[in-house]
Amino acid sequence: MFLQLTLSGVSQGAIYALIALSLTVVYRSTTIVSFGHGDFVMAGAFLTYVLVVAIGIAFLPASLIAIVAMFLLGVAFSRGLIGPIRGGPHVGLALMSISFGFTLRGIARTVWGREVLPMPRVFDIDPIFIGSVVITGDALFIISIVAVLLVVFFTVLHFTDIGKMVQAVYQSERGARLIGIDVERFHNFSWGLGAALGAVAGVLIAPISLLHPDLGASFLIKGFAAMTLGGFGSLAGAVLGGLLLGVAEQYSGAYIDTTLIDITAYLLIIAVLLIRPRGLFGRKVVVKV
Amino acid sequence: MQTSTGTLSKRRRIFWLVPLIALALPLLTNPYTQFIANAMLIYTLVTLGFSVVIGNLGQLAFANTAFFGIGAYASAIASTNLGLPWLATVPLAGLAGAFGGFLASAAALRGIRLYYLAIVTMAFGELMRWFYTHTGVLTGGTDGLPVSRERDFGLALTSDTVQFYVFLIITCLLVAGTVNLLRSRIGRAIIAVRENEIATASLGIPTSQIIVTAFMWSGFIVGIAGAMFALHTGRVFPESFGLTQLIVNFAMVLVGGLGSVAGAVLGAVALTALPEYVRAFPGMEEIFFGVIVMVVLLVMPKGLASLLARVSPIFQQRYHRD
Repeated sequence: MFLQLTLSGVSQGAIYALIALSLTVVYRSTTIVSFGHGDFVMAGAFLTYVLVVAIGIAFLPASLIAIVAMFLLGVAFSRGLIGPIRGGPHVGLALMSISFGFTLRGIARTVWGREVLPMPRVFDIDPIFIGSVVITGDALFIISIVAVLLVVFFTVLHFTDIGKMVQAVYQSERGARLIGIDVERFHNFSWGLGAALGAVAGVLIAPISLLHPDLGASFLIKGFAAMTLGGFGSLAGAVLGGLLLGVAEQYSGAYIDTTLIDITAYLLIIAVLLIRPRGLFGRKVVVKV
Repeated sequence: MQTSTGTLSKRRRIFWLVPLIALALPLLTNPYTQFIANAMLIYTLVTLGFSVVIGNLGQLAFANTAFFGIGAYASAIASTNLGLPWLATVPLAGLAGAFGGFLASAAALRGIRLYYLAIVTMAFGELMRWFYTHTGVLTGGTDGLPVSRERDFGLALTSDTVQFYVFLIITCLLVAGTVNLLRSRIGRAIIAVRENEIATASLGIPTSQIIVTAFMWSGFIVGIAGAMFALHTGRVFPESFGLTQLIVNFAMVLVGGLGSVAGAVLGAVALTALPEYVRAFPGMEEIFFGVIVMVVLLVMPKGLASLLARVSPIFQQRYHRD
């Protein structure tokens, strides 16, 4: 029972980790919190659905197309809507991402109305039994995809020249500008990468859950919970926070009350910010005059 | 300088003509436009309360719909379960909203600001929606909770016209109260926190407490708007306080002009009238308000109030500057 719960928690948490990571990628490079990010996740899932069901492309190429399309949408959003007001008040920047998200959600609702769409099953991998623990094909698929992505992401970040550039911008935007890094392009790229990673999460959600336009909102807050728990702005913290949140949801649902699954994330956010605002790995914020 | 601001604030007395003209409104309208006019008064308060937090205080917050819901449910619960007349539930709804404002911003006392505070308020708002649906004994769950419109101290509150006059009085009192608050020591501190919190703190102003105070005033006004909403619709449902409500509130504040009292009225009036046409199709409302917010941010970041300020200096922003 305990192991089974942990396993489904990790598989759910892997998706939260991915969303938290995609939010952190945007936040670290642009210092903007993307409050419309849940809708990037939703849009990724819906695009995949359209390509698979309406057009009839196989799942893997369809999801690749959706992820690339979301990358381009993220870049376009950064250039067209964030660019002109960058440097303005942070409330305006946050509102821009919120309203963009709402627009995406509205578009999804206009096309699909109030229907809830079931995605045809993609993988017929037989569940694996290890003792009393059942590993479903979906869980295996999600965990392995996320694991591969994370390894690639952190390898690129820490061991390549591009990664060094990224870290340079993270440390000091002005410094990066001085050594000739095109920070604006980097911002656009980060929005694209954030949207694409969000879309990967959407693609992974699509086969295991019912699709509806409001899907993004709940995942957004789970991403925030994961970020807060791991330490706002910490990439590794976001991943660990996501996994912990997934497991915590399963435990609280099984051992306390099933209705608690929905609100574990909210309670976690409030508890962490009241008890240890910088989370597990966040740096203590020092206010300088 | 002294004299010019003096005459300006005298000239601002002209604003009191607005409610006086509004007194005549019920003579000119049909029942449907009367219903919309009542909603405009409700949304004026919703927008004003929100504007205090995101415009004047400059903190991003998502709890406005929660305060609205808390007020509405407080009114409905007090009227249905305790049998109180609606008018008696209004101050209760305000206090409940203010308490909500305290809870949503209590993290500010721990030094939480900006995005963190925004996320806490978001969690708070979602938590409240969870409560409306899951505490069925108290809130009626997804079936909603009715509000008694029985006679109230001799007022026939079932009539939209009577409702209008009651709402008008409440709205005027709270708008005047907000203007006075913003002009007071506390109000100036609220604006100072937005401009530069560290500098404000160095003057010996307890900035965290100021943030909580602004949230509580916001919760108070929006909570009372919730009580009005409960009477207006006759039944409160959890969905009324969801995410669509939130984007509508954001759009109203922004279209009117962040932090402007006149702008809050303008934004609420302008956008309450419009959406009837866009509600016909699912999703249109979200696209409509989403696009409005994006366009306003790009083209007219100070909202309608800034357009009017070009016409007459009495519309100039006193409590907000970019």
